[in-house]
Amino acid sequence: MSGASCKANGAVYPASSAVMNSVKKPKMEQIQADHELFLQAFEKPTQIYRFLRTRNLIAPIYLHRTLTFMSHRNGRSNARRLSSHLQLTFTGFFHKDEKPSQNSENEQSSVSLEVLLVKVCHKKRKDVSCPIKQVPTGKKQVPLNPDSNQTKLGSYPSLLVSSNEFEPSNSHMVKSYSLLFRVSRTGRRAANGLVNGEANENIDVIDTPSRKKRSSSHREEGETTETFVAQMTVFDKNRRLQLLDGEYEVSMQGMEDSPVSKKRATWETILDGKRLPPFETFSQGPTLQFMLRWTGDASGKSTAPVAKPLATRNSDSSSPMETRTTVKESVSTDIKTRKEQVLCEPRQKLRIFYQFLYNNNTRQQTEARDDLHCPWCTLNCSKLYSLLKHLKLSHSRFIFNYVPHPKGARIDVSINECYDGSYVGNPQDIHSQPGFAFSRNGPVKRTAVTHILVCRPKRTKPSLSEFLESEDGELEQQRTYVSGHNRLYFHSDSCMPLRPQEMEEDSEDERDPEWLREKTATQLDEFTDVNEGEKEVMKLWNLHVMKYGFIADNQMNQAIMLFAENTGAHIVRRNLCRNFLLHLVSMHDFNLVTTATIDRAMARLRQIKEELPDAEEEEQQQGQALVSAGACNGNSITSTGGKQGKRTKSALTD
Amino acid sequence: MVLTGKRSEKGPACWKRRVKSEYMRLRQLKRFRRADEVKSMFNTNRQKILDRTDILNQEWKTRRIQPVHIMTSCTADSGFSEFSKQVIPLKTLNAVASVPVMYSWSPLQQNFMVEDETVLHNIPYMGDEILDQDGTFIEELIKNYDGKVHGDREGVISLSQYSDNEEEDEEEEEQQDFKVEKMEVCDGKEHPEEPRKEVLKFPSDKIFEAISSMFPDKGSTEELKEKYKELTEQQLPGALPPECTPNIDGPNARSVQREQSLHSFHTLFCRRCFKYDCFLHPFHATPNTYKRKNLENLVDSKPCGIECYIEYPAGEVAEQAKTPSKRTVGRRRGRLPNSSSSRPGTPSVSSETKDTDSDREGSRAALVKCSVLVFCAEGNSRCQTPVKMKLIGEAEAVEWSGAEASLFRVLIGTYYDNFCAIARLIGTKTCRQVYEFRVKESSIIARAPAEDEDTPPRKKKRKHRLWATHCRKIQLKKDGSSNHVYNYQPCDHPRQPCDASCPCVTAQNFCEKFCQCSSECQNRFPGCRCKAQCNTKQCPCYLAVRECDPDLCLTCGAGDNWDSKNVSCKNCSIQRGAKKHLLLAPSDVAGWGIFIKEPVQKNEFISEYCGEIISQDEADRRGKVYDKYMCSFLFNLNNDFVVDATRKGNKIRFANHSVNPNCYAKVMMVNGDHRIGIFAKRAIQTGEELFFDYRYSQADALKYVGIERELEIA
Repeated sequence: MSGASCKANGAVYPASSAVMNSVKKPKMEQIQADHELFLQAFEKPTQIYRFLRTRNLIAPIYLHRTLTFMSHRNGRSNARRLSSHLQLTFTGFFHKDEKPSQNSENEQSSVSLEVLLVKVCHKKRKDVSCPIKQVPTGKKQVPLNPDSNQTKLGSYPSLLVSSNEFEPSNSHMVKSYSLLFRVSRTGRRAANGLVNGEANENIDVIDTPSRKKRSSSHREEGETTETFVAQMTVFDKNRRLQLLDGEYEVSMQGMEDSPVSKKRATWETILDGKRLPPFETFSQGPTLQFMLRWTGDASGKSTAPVAKPLATRNSDSSSPMETRTTVKESVSTDIKTRKEQVLCEPRQKLRIFYQFLYNNNTRQQTEARDDLHCPWCTLNCSKLYSLLKHLKLSHSRFIFNYVPHPKGARIDVSINECYDGSYVGNPQDIHSQPGFAFSRNGPVKRTAVTHILVCRPKRTKPSLSEFLESEDGELEQQRTYVSGHNRLYFHSDSCMPLRPQEMEEDSEDERDPEWLREKTATQLDEFTDVNEGEKEVMKLWNLHVMKYGFIADNQMNQAIMLFAENTGAHIVRRNLCRNFLLHLVSMHDFNLVTTATIDRAMARLRQIKEELPDAEEEEQQQGQALVSAGACNGNSITSTGGKQGKRTKSALTD
Repeated sequence: MVLTGKRSEKGPACWKRRVKSEYMRLRQLKRFRRADEVKSMFNTNRQKILDRTDILNQEWKTRRIQPVHIMTSCTADSGFSEFSKQVIPLKTLNAVASVPVMYSWSPLQQNFMVEDETVLHNIPYMGDEILDQDGTFIEELIKNYDGKVHGDREGVISLSQYSDNEEEDEEEEEQQDFKVEKMEVCDGKEHPEEPRKEVLKFPSDKIFEAISSMFPDKGSTEELKEKYKELTEQQLPGALPPECTPNIDGPNARSVQREQSLHSFHTLFCRRCFKYDCFLHPFHATPNTYKRKNLENLVDSKPCGIECYIEYPAGEVAEQAKTPSKRTVGRRRGRLPNSSSSRPGTPSVSSETKDTDSDREGSRAALVKCSVLVFCAEGNSRCQTPVKMKLIGEAEAVEWSGAEASLFRVLIGTYYDNFCAIARLIGTKTCRQVYEFRVKESSIIARAPAEDEDTPPRKKKRKHRLWATHCRKIQLKKDGSSNHVYNYQPCDHPRQPCDASCPCVTAQNFCEKFCQCSSECQNRFPGCRCKAQCNTKQCPCYLAVRECDPDLCLTCGAGDNWDSKNVSCKNCSIQRGAKKHLLLAPSDVAGWGIFIKEPVQKNEFISEYCGEIISQDEADRRGKVYDKYMCSFLFNLNNDFVVDATRKGNKIRFANHSVNPNCYAKVMMVNGDHRIGIFAKRAIQTGEELFFDYRYSQADALKYVGIERELEIA
């Protein structure tokens, strides 16, 4: 890892020789006992947070820059970017080949630089390869090997690429934009004197491995001219900006040497047949230095906000596949330090004192840091407010209290006794993927859960006072009350976990569960003195009532009609019409239906009878479908004879 | 079949021995059969489980199982050199937290009444330590059931069961013996099977003697003979017990009286649940005393077609027939051979005769074949219409099947003299034929009840006065009497007003629409006339802790909008089952808990507490067991009954007890039934666990609260 993070770890990790704040020299044992207590309190959580930090570096769950209080870490804002111009200020072309002093004294003080904007367009059907447009943006004379101390900023040649160039053009949809730098240097040397191999032109961090170096075919006939090229992607094919504001040093490549076939190409730097560490390129090889900034207007200052793109991202969330780490580091650390000093800490340096309280807050140890990096995850928070917020939210195993300090800030760190480490994520993840829900071996198919989150919390203005120890201290420590379904539910019948797609329907709450339907059928079957026709109609009716849950007398007319409609065909097919009529008459006797309803229901039944094509044929097919609602069909004739029953209706009325 | 086949000496001792051996054989057979049944049951269940497992396995296969990060590998060493070491990556799956214990229960959305259990169904198992330390508990428990334990046949405890069983055996045995006898009869013939098909022969007395001597407690020889007859007769195909009316749609339909046709429907129908043989009300009132509210279209004034009986001059007869006649004596034509409606020989005919014996004197007058009795309003005399004669002569040929005749009698009791309608409903007869049949049957047909002369036309004023007294009564009831609430049972005391002797009055219940008393009864609850939501004490229903009756409260909307959830009346949630969606999860407190899916407001209905309705005695017995389990779902409903959600219930049974609950329980009178509603005590948020205070709802049942109470106070 980077040196910065190493340093941070070393400073923080309590097991290391911590700086004791004991003024006098106590006995050795006392120190040891004290240290023991300190470890007891802080070792475990610190280890946990260190583990989490490493995990987050490898596979981040979220990006810190997306957090509101870390917004300054987000160096991109697309809206502004597209309408801004790209300003390039070239500080020099460095080429320290053999004996630079020989002939560079008078005539070779500058080289001519041509910058082309290469637009790779989307392939159309007829095209064999992607159409490429090269738009010349200008030629400049760039000083060769200038002394960085001498020249002022204003005197450097600069170039402006208009924002119009990045607008989508009408003819072709542009896939990606890149800048092609071509440096021509007149000299007597043979071009093949220096073998640069394939120089590493990738400087920015989020380099897309797919980006290909394109050596331009432009070659001058004259032996005296050397041409070096380099290409940098401005927008990649996803229209993501790859070049942020900053100082860049591009290693250039001689035109004629491309001996290695592209396919086998690996990123190595070779000088005089020896492998160079990548970083060496920059001390040796032809490099072009320039400053890049996005400006709102042609002459204005940088509008890209607080761009320290390489530095911060590199240090906190370095991607696992960094292949050119050293190069980046060298550049980025360089830029980082500069930028931070300029942008983030315009004031004098803050000193943060971490005061670790332990042993029931009776003992304490203090450590100090000069930067705003989180001691546990080395995240550069850039601002004191962000640091405090981050500590508070990400390291809740501790309690942090902010105390203003003349030199900066003091943060009291103590162990949070009420830390609740229980799982509060989606409970489905644990149950549907036992054992690998949180596997980090690649993507896990999660249970699909759709939540509509509408959250517009009232944001108070960031103020350091919120970190001060509150008067009624404990109130703050309480976990916020989480309402909602943050638990896994179970089916009440099977105790199986309820899947999210089953949340909506209340499956176990049916009015006529199967067992009840069966029960009513068997209960009626038990009667010895009720004939099978009556039983069947009664069962059908019971199922009907249970299904619809009729509760009022005034529903009965409607219920009868519905009954005729739903079971009419079955009644006709099973030849139960007269029993059906008896049922209706009985209902009438109970004063529940009118004769008009009887008439209508019977008329409907007759109608169904006529419509029914051929009762016998259809019976087999439809009969099952229709009576699937009740288990009463099959056994009505065979088994409902007097024998099996045990009850009699007459006994009921006793 | 074990058969000696030898006609050995027929000493009673020998017979006795045979009976005994036969008995043993039958018992064994039965045992085998039972074992087979159990086996096949087990296998089918097993199959069901396997099917289900297959489905689940399929589901699992479709899931994408990720390669788990291999931490270590497992090596198995055989120890023999010829077998190589087996190495397999060790895959660890994280443990999934187990769920609390749940005993199986059946889902229910309405209460279910069960009878008291006279037999202890199983000896509860509560872990070995309880059994050891407290052996007396089980003893006491068994004592509660008079020593009866289910399935305990060998033991002394359940003698009655044993004897039942034996009797069954014996019945079979007798049949079996019969076969033995037959075999003996046909001994020596070539085909022993053949005689079985012959007309059954009655076995010899010896057998019965032997059986009776073997089992003296089963009655004398004669009794056994009778029993044998009874049992063998039943084997006839299609035979039904004598008390059973044949299926009216079946081929054996007989011509029976109206009451008999409708008997099953009348007795089994529950007027409160609208179901036959309902789960909630063991006693159903029959409709005979229900008065008809109004006389609907008794007669179609218009003829139903060209063939309609009204078209004929005799139609007038019908017109007049419906007018109430002072003559109450039924007139009946004698049994005439050629016009007999039922098939000769069917029992219905005899019953008819019996029924109408009293009308003898009237029938004598009506001897003339095919004559029609005409009621002339002015003269009460009978005259014959020549036209009629002719017509009837034609109609004579019409055969009335038993079913048709029965149906006619049923319908005439409903439609009276609307012959067109009756004919339409019967379907196979014209209204003229129906009319003629009606004339034949005139004697047994009920008169259309006159306009109810006993009830004077209702007056608004009176209603209002009634209303006022009611409101007063409710108030009185509320503060006056004790907390005792008694179960409602529809009262049925004909021709007596609901006074102090009425069960409803003594139980301090209102009369409901199910009562047999008149709708003007003073004790009836009149319903509310709210136009609001009925959720304040302004509503008399709400005040009386009743839900609005959809048939009584006509203005509040309790009886409207059946299809939609938006009912203006908020006091009818239990009956409509407008419960909230509840979700089950391990409780934050103890065991399982129930959580609400959507937020509810204060006093909103959440769910009904459903379960088995058991008597207080039964609850005491069950409670003893639940007490031991430290877990009870008992809930006092009223003075007579308790709701037990242990075996059957709905999800709200998982609500835990709390002294600071977010729900409360309220027992309400809902259309004649006491039901328990669980309501929100305060506004409840999404996903909150539901609690209610068992102490208020369960009154003295607090002792059953058990585990939750102890754990929860914190």
